[in-house]
Amino acid sequence: MKKYIIQTGTVTYAIKGRDLLRNKGFKVKVERITADKNYGCGYAIILEGNLENALQTLRENGVKILDIIEK
Amino acid sequence: MIYFDNAATSGKKPISVSRAMAFSVENYSANPGRSGHDLSVKTADKVYKTREKISNFFGSCGAETVVFTQNCTHSINCVLKGVLRRGDHVIVSDFEHNAVMRPLNKMGVSYSVAKSGDTTAKTLENFKRNIKPNTRLVLVSGASNVTGEVLPISQIGLICKKKNIRFCVDAAQIGGILPIDMQKMNIDYLCLAPHKGLYAPMGIGVLICRKPIENTLIEGGTGTDSVNFLQPTTLPEGLESGTINVPAIFGLSAGVDFVKNKGIETIYKHEFSLLSYLYDELLKNEKIVLYTKPPKFNYTVPVLPFNYKGLKSFETAQILNKYGFAVRAGYHCAPTAHKKMGTMSYGAVRVSFGAFNNRYEVTKFVNLLKDENFIKNYKKVVE
Repeated sequence: MKKYIIQTGTVTYAIKGRDLLRNKGFKVKVERITADKNYGCGYAIILEGNLENALQTLRENGVKILDIIEK
Repeated sequence: MIYFDNAATSGKKPISVSRAMAFSVENYSANPGRSGHDLSVKTADKVYKTREKISNFFGSCGAETVVFTQNCTHSINCVLKGVLRRGDHVIVSDFEHNAVMRPLNKMGVSYSVAKSGDTTAKTLENFKRNIKPNTRLVLVSGASNVTGEVLPISQIGLICKKKNIRFCVDAAQIGGILPIDMQKMNIDYLCLAPHKGLYAPMGIGVLICRKPIENTLIEGGTGTDSVNFLQPTTLPEGLESGTINVPAIFGLSAGVDFVKNKGIETIYKHEFSLLSYLYDELLKNEKIVLYTKPPKFNYTVPVLPFNYKGLKSFETAQILNKYGFAVRAGYHCAPTAHKKMGTMSYGAVRVSFGAFNNRYEVTKFVNLLKDENFIKNYKKVVE
């Protein structure tokens, strides 16, 4: 199964997203992402599963997403 | 000491609050939202759960709307300085605290004072009458910290919604005391003093934002977007530069649980019964001057101002202190309320109750004030 890094920026949105996705049965965790010259330090949801379904849930609940990277 | 100064801070905290704080220091002493190690993320998780709990308790729309500040004054300053622009107009009530009046005057913002009338209809009319084309914000105390009078915030919120004006409530005296539902009451910003009605420790404030705050009060590290010198705007972190007070947040979480478990209505009923009892007893005492109408359920928070004839408010408080009663005298940082009440000469003595007070304490207080020698004791106690 594919893994994705969904960058949320803030830890609050990362945890919110993780809880929302976990409640829907997704395999997720929160991680501090490696420093990146575009976004600096920040947090991300590490998702293992269907990206489109996960993104729909996050967007419906107002979770701000900065970037998505396939791991 | 019998503590009747709960409007300043709830003197007695539930044991669960101090235990939660100690537990935080012992087990969660990592910086949330900064490092990536497990303890930091676990701590961030606890902080998040507290935000979520507060959002649910006050009818907001998500954990991300809950900002931790230093205190209620800090929260109010965040709103005033973050929302208002040059040329904007603000409406406040006639019993605002200096936490509102001082920033407004320092900022040089144009503001109008809407008087609270004898009836809700008159109060609402006064608010409506003061609306101008450039009114951007209405900011009111949920209840006066001097008189205990509760403002009709639901109805004011509705007026603001219709007129597309942002609405902020200084809930220092009602948070955890009377039910608040931000969505139902159309409150855009709620400023809380959790160390009062939510039994949290001092040094933690809350600001709940259902609308944006355009400018920040302070700027600095947020643990996010760190290569950018511009302050991130995303809430809550955008308003929380610097390390947050995790032990106090743990204490706050336990405080909210305490109020929820006991029941906000149960606590208020208890406090209101003490207030009514005190009012009725003081009314019978000809040496006491009362300034407020009899307390009305749901329209008065457990606060009562009075004076002892022939004594200045500070003198009365000094005597009471010697007898083991903690009350607050003076102007309570709210000269506007004292002007309205007619107590600008010497202020007033304020009694304010909390969940841990009881009828026995109030009876003791009433009897002391009835004592023929009370005023004679003044010289004895000050000398």
